Amino acid sequence: MNLRKVRIIYFKEMLETLRDRRTLISTILIPILLFPILMFGMSAVVVTMMEKTEAEATRVAMIGEEFAHSFVFTFLEGDDFQKVEVEDFESALKEKEIHAALEFPSGFEEKLTLGENSEATIYYDAAELRSSIAAEKLFDKLEHYQDSLVAERLRDRGVERSLLQPIKINEENLASQEKMGGFMLGMFLPYMIVILAMVGAMYPAIDLTAGEKERGTLETILVTPVSRLDIATGKFLTVLTASLITILLSTASMSLSASLGFAQMSQFSSEQVPFIIKPLPIILLLLLMLPLAALFSSALLSVSLFAKSYKEAQSYVSPLMFVVILPAMINFIPGIELNWGLAFVPIVNISLAAREVLLGTFRWEFIGLIFVSTFIYASLSIFVTKQLFEKEDVLFRT
Amino acid sequence: MDSVNIECKPGRVFGLLGLNGAGKTTLMRVLSTTLKPTSGNAKVAGYDVISQPEKVKEKIGFLSSDTGLYHRLTAEETVSYFGRLNGMEQNILKKRVDEIFERFDMNEFRKRRVDKLSTGMKQKISIARTFINDPEVLILDEPTIGLDVVTSRGIIQFIKKSKQADKCILFSTHVMWEAQKLCDDIAIIHKGKIWEVGTLEQLRARTGLNDLDDIFVKIVGE
Repeated sequence: MNLRKVRIIYFKEMLETLRDRRTLISTILIPILLFPILMFGMSAVVVTMMEKTEAEATRVAMIGEEFAHSFVFTFLEGDDFQKVEVEDFESALKEKEIHAALEFPSGFEEKLTLGENSEATIYYDAAELRSSIAAEKLFDKLEHYQDSLVAERLRDRGVERSLLQPIKINEENLASQEKMGGFMLGMFLPYMIVILAMVGAMYPAIDLTAGEKERGTLETILVTPVSRLDIATGKFLTVLTASLITILLSTASMSLSASLGFAQMSQFSSEQVPFIIKPLPIILLLLLMLPLAALFSSALLSVSLFAKSYKEAQSYVSPLMFVVILPAMINFIPGIELNWGLAFVPIVNISLAAREVLLGTFRWEFIGLIFVSTFIYASLSIFVTKQLFEKEDVLFRT
Repeated sequence: MDSVNIECKPGRVFGLLGLNGAGKTTLMRVLSTTLKPTSGNAKVAGYDVISQPEKVKEKIGFLSSDTGLYHRLTAEETVSYFGRLNGMEQNILKKRVDEIFERFDMNEFRKRRVDKLSTGMKQKISIARTFINDPEVLILDEPTIGLDVVTSRGIIQFIKKSKQADKCILFSTHVMWEAQKLCDDIAIIHKGKIWEVGTLEQLRARTGLNDLDDIFVKIVGE
């Protein structure tokens, strides 16, 4: 290998890649903008919805209201609920005139004052979010009412309220702030970064191979005194650089927008979600991504070198995308833990390890094994790419 | 293809004449080392195409109608890139680039990106790229195909000048009048074989015909 020639090719390919709008979008713009848009878009939606729900009273139709005077009286005290008179509650619910309906049977309150039991029915539409929320609120309200009834009945019988609750259950979250942060990021970050590592390498890989064939520039470089190995190496390093840039940018962007986004969302959550990401997990994550990026880069180069045109290469690369997306989704399956077997499965191993690294629960031997195994896969893939660059029927495929 | 036995000398233009699909491109790719022959051998500028491909590539300039340019590089970046790949040192390269841009009258679009240029300008850059390392041997595979009159005239003139500069020029075409006008030696290639080699005069004498079209048709028998 002639390093000087590799360098000449690398710098020229980088220059050209940085002037390619498609590459700039997929390698730089998407990783920077995707997470803020996702995070702030999502939290903005949640915030607006919450605000709307809070601002707007829940509209409820009462059926058999005359049997539940005292409940309805307390019910309407606050601004939370608004009683709506309707002819037919089912069609009203369908037309979204009301969010839910509450039905009392005849003699509801009478029975209760006599110390007997009765019932109440909540009608709602589970396919409508606002309706589900309304049903929950009604349920809470009724439970609260029931609680006061129980307390009253117990008092009448001279029984202590605590008799019904011999065990007081306490819950305390012992996860460190770092782990909470890792838990939030652990599911999405590995998935997103694995996919973006692929997306970032995709366009440069196609452009430098099938794109060159299509434009007739590949042959011009094949007749220069540069070995095929030097050409392949220069191109590989360019694609790898693009992939690493994507990984770096997306990690930075996601960590930042996650900490800001969660902070914004947590104002509506009862528990405060403190969010801290430490540098070590991020550095480890980036290290793990290095051989994976090399694997993606060489695989993409091989596949698109085989294609005759940009379009053909794209149609080969699309199915490859699914091969990456499915194993990257491993963290969404609950209960799957990294083990010696899974540590050898490409992409799956990195996704699982990335989550553990972010959670701070990783084992060094797994990290080492995954790094080495992915490195071996990448080397094999690079070897295949090199072989393909030597094959005339691939280079001159028409 | 088989049974190809030709010799091309410095200061002469060797024309490879054949129909589309006759094997011209394959032969030229073998000579420029991008294709390996399954049997037989060839020497270019004294170097073996099989065992010394890097040496061969240092000595040749290759141009075909299929070869393109990097759209996102400027004219100067393109030509310099090929100079560097040919192992030229920075200071020599700079002088050479200046000289070539002057000679082909390309200074006007020197700093402009290739994708913004006209076909003629692009063709000039392609020639400049081929010429940057001052190659001893020029392999030109149908260089004028699909070009307008002005641009293809430019190429013809470039071939003539190279001949005066004592280059060995291998030139393929299926345009008979081009061959008639330019070539010192002519080989007729058909179905992967060389059917006849000689100067235009020799071919005329052998067939008793005057026009290269007629000679060609008589030789390939179609």
